[in-house]
Amino acid sequence: MFLRRLKYWKDSARRSEALREEMELHIAERAAQLQEDGLTPEGARAEARRQFGNVSLKHEASREVWMLRHWLELVQDVRYGLRTMAANKTFSAMAILSLALGIGANTAIFSFMDSLLLRSLPVSNPESLAMLNWRAPLDRGRDSVVHRGSGNIWPDGQSARMAGIFPYPAFELIRANSAGLFLSVFAYRSTGNVNVMARGQAELASGEFVSGDYFPGLAVSPSAGRLIIPDDDRVGAPAIAVLSYAYSQRRFGDAASAPGQSILINNIPFSVAGVTPPGFFGVDPAAAPDFYIPLRTNLLLRLRVGANDAKDYLDQNFYWLEMMARLRPGVSQAQAQAALGPMFRQWVDSTAANDRERLQLPELLIRDGAGGLDTLRRQYSKPLYVLLALVALILAIACANIANLLLTRATARRREMAVRLSMGAGRLRLIRQLLTESVLLASIGGAASVLFAMWSIRFLTFLLANGSEDFTLRPDLNWPVLGAAAALALLTGLLFGLAPALRATRVDVIPALKDATASRLGSRYWFGRVSLSQALVVTQIGLSLLLLVAEGLFVRTLSNLQSIQLGFNREDLLLFKMNARQAGHKDPEIITFYSELQKRFAAIPGIRGASATSPQMTGQGTTGGPAGPAGVPPKPGVYAHILTTGPDFFSTMQIPVRLGRGFDDRDRPGSLPVAVVNEAYVKTYFPGQNPLGQHISISRRAPLIDRDVEIIGVAANARYGALKGAFRDIVYLPFNQDSYYPVEEMTFALRTSGDPLRYVNTVREIVRQADPRIPVSDVRTQAAQIDRTINQEIVFARLCTAFAVLALLIACVGLYGTMAYTVARRTSEIGIRMALGAQRGTVVWMVLREVFVLAAVGLAIGVPAALGASRFVESFLFEVKPNSPAAVVFAVAILLGAVLLAGYAPARKASRIDPMLAVRHE
Amino acid sequence: MGCKPQKNDSLPGSLDLLILCTLSRRDLLGYGIVPFIQQLSDDELLVEEGSLYPALQRLDRNGWIEGTWGLTPNNHNAKICKKLTLAKSCVMGTE
Repeated sequence: MFLRRLKYWKDSARRSEALREEMELHIAERAAQLQEDGLTPEGARAEARRQFGNVSLKHEASREVWMLRHWLELVQDVRYGLRTMAANKTFSAMAILSLALGIGANTAIFSFMDSLLLRSLPVSNPESLAMLNWRAPLDRGRDSVVHRGSGNIWPDGQSARMAGIFPYPAFELIRANSAGLFLSVFAYRSTGNVNVMARGQAELASGEFVSGDYFPGLAVSPSAGRLIIPDDDRVGAPAIAVLSYAYSQRRFGDAASAPGQSILINNIPFSVAGVTPPGFFGVDPAAAPDFYIPLRTNLLLRLRVGANDAKDYLDQNFYWLEMMARLRPGVSQAQAQAALGPMFRQWVDSTAANDRERLQLPELLIRDGAGGLDTLRRQYSKPLYVLLALVALILAIACANIANLLLTRATARRREMAVRLSMGAGRLRLIRQLLTESVLLASIGGAASVLFAMWSIRFLTFLLANGSEDFTLRPDLNWPVLGAAAALALLTGLLFGLAPALRATRVDVIPALKDATASRLGSRYWFGRVSLSQALVVTQIGLSLLLLVAEGLFVRTLSNLQSIQLGFNREDLLLFKMNARQAGHKDPEIITFYSELQKRFAAIPGIRGASATSPQMTGQGTTGGPAGPAGVPPKPGVYAHILTTGPDFFSTMQIPVRLGRGFDDRDRPGSLPVAVVNEAYVKTYFPGQNPLGQHISISRRAPLIDRDVEIIGVAANARYGALKGAFRDIVYLPFNQDSYYPVEEMTFALRTSGDPLRYVNTVREIVRQADPRIPVSDVRTQAAQIDRTINQEIVFARLCTAFAVLALLIACVGLYGTMAYTVARRTSEIGIRMALGAQRGTVVWMVLREVFVLAAVGLAIGVPAALGASRFVESFLFEVKPNSPAAVVFAVAILLGAVLLAGYAPARKASRIDPMLAVRHE
Repeated sequence: MGCKPQKNDSLPGSLDLLILCTLSRRDLLGYGIVPFIQQLSDDELLVEEGSLYPALQRLDRNGWIEGTWGLTPNNHNAKICKKLTLAKSCVMGTE
């Protein structure tokens, strides 16, 4: 039966025609018969028609039998809507454009949020994966069972902290006691950057230590060779490595030829056992490891000099291992937590050294692991939500604009509506038709928005990544995102179409039919004393103000950040890193190696100065420890920050030395151990005294002993570590006197004449000649390094400016349209006024007054809203108060200026009205 | 037009039955059905002639009747003659 309906639908045009003919035939026959009965031909036809009934109605009723009425009407409406759109090309084009921009921007943000918040790990059955974390109250008294930690600990609210790192004994404990809850438990930990030599080429790579159950637990199959199994993770097992698909392709050409090859990781031989499948990136969306090696191989690699890695496996207070588990079918995360929590607490209690530590024990948390670790989510969620709010605002402004323009058009179509209503069209039917028009507009805008969304995604990815190579957020336009965009298009179509549709059809039929032109009385759609059109303009102005204030705040933040006092000169500085120890160099020869290299760099023509530091000065954390005056016992928890540098550091970085001198050739291994401190340090430790010649004691972990050094210089304050906040207490030590920990990775800084990047090849060549096993990594200029640190603020400031400009533009266009229409409508009134003697200036003022009243109301709503909302972005600002009056005043000024501009043209047009023509206009 | 247009016939179903009864006797044009109905109902039922057509379409859609092609007075090819389909004529109890 359904097939028959389908067949009817296809033939519907022809069928409809045939039916009509049949009906005509019927009437003709009846008329013929009536004629025979004696009526005149015309009378017979009339009588036949009367007896037949309403032909059109019956025709339609018949058609309805085989075609769904609603479907018929929808097709009608769509055709009508398309015709209307074609008739108003400018309006349609503008509307579609603004919708495409608005919906496209929203879609781009949707796709980012989808890839950030909704994607699961590319493993089988990710919903049964669980992350193991702990949470502990945070007390500045810092007595905690976590005696040493290596990994991420992040704040959770104001008074607690969370982490995913555990001691090895905790891993064993959970593994032994969770057979009923977990199918498997596995642990892993990042290796950090290591030197990987494959096929004679040395490069830096970053991998993952994994326990034996990692790959079986994640249920992944290799794309070549085999993956790590539990038997590989024991002391004495052969050292194997599993490569990621992309890495195997890069180093060996293709994945299939990788298994069996031999590589050197930090000079230790490993054999490649297999390759992971393409698309597998481990468990952290923020970092895709290049290779995976069994956990126990960290005993071979000895990544931390002087550390006793074997002891680490027994240490109950050293937190370093991350864990995940796969739940048994039917077991929920809550159940697992309820079962394991008390056991973990008991164990952690037993590891506490004293009662103070027992006051803030960590408690176990079992959390959803389907999406992998939340490093990326924590970093980007809040900014993305803010961006979402901003693009939603833009879309709202665009919708208000279109609604306003539709209202204007509705007025022009009053007559048409009146005619149709009087002919019996249901009001609901008319509203449906008008809504179909607006949804059609929105749908076309939505389709066009896909293009804009693709471009936006690329642009946003570029902005957010800002040159860092391992940006792992990979948004794309998949079906859920496109579905959300389509729903948004539909919603906006209904939203901006509803009010005009309702208003358009509430027409007083008789006056509308009689009047050829708009009259004063029945033509405005009033909410009390305010017309809907005016309300929309006011809303637009308010929303634009919000965006302008946000923009002002973010731009100020950015400029504050960019003009932060660094204490050193950031221009023309080339930075790069290398790690000789990973390539095999050892003490004491490694010191000579670095010193020689520094001298060779300094000798390059065009280089005005060369120096080295460990670690790098900005963009990473710092190292530090207790370093107070010798003989004074160090206060617990009071640290100084320690930077080891090469000679000529202060002159190269252009940090003024206030007292004494910087490091130079006099400071050699074996000569007097020296240090330079900065002004902040002097204020903390030697207030009011001359620190030159004083001794300080650098505290170091066993097996090294504390070091006694003499202060030979005081440098001006300079940034080390974070860019924001107060200058830290810094102790500078020369790297060649063994005053701190043995050097590993060194960051070189070369002051160049001209573009620093021109010298990169020379640098690489020098290093290659010195030792081809050492890769030069992380090459960038200091200026770019700092930009990378404040990348988020840069993005926000740029985006906000773009948004604010866009919003203001749209609002002004809307204002212009409304005012132009008002003037057109009141042409006769203005004409009369001018005929009665009003001056041009008065007329202009009359129009402008209305403009300013609208603006004032918009501001009255917008300013409190802006003040309230700016509290939400406080965490993104820097040295700018959210309620900064300057930002608000500035925004208001810009808005008023734009509004004036938008209103001026209609005002001038009003003043040019010829009174004679205007009066006759009626 | 005083009253709202009716979506269905005021006696739902009965018109269909009348048409079927009519057509079970002979095949007819739409036009020809009217006097038969009037006869069948003893002139009690005065059907608005146009109302036939929706009913005819309904019956056609549901497979009770079918139209055959013929020439209209305007020499167009159109489905005009209505007759019961073979299957349904068995149901109606005619040969």
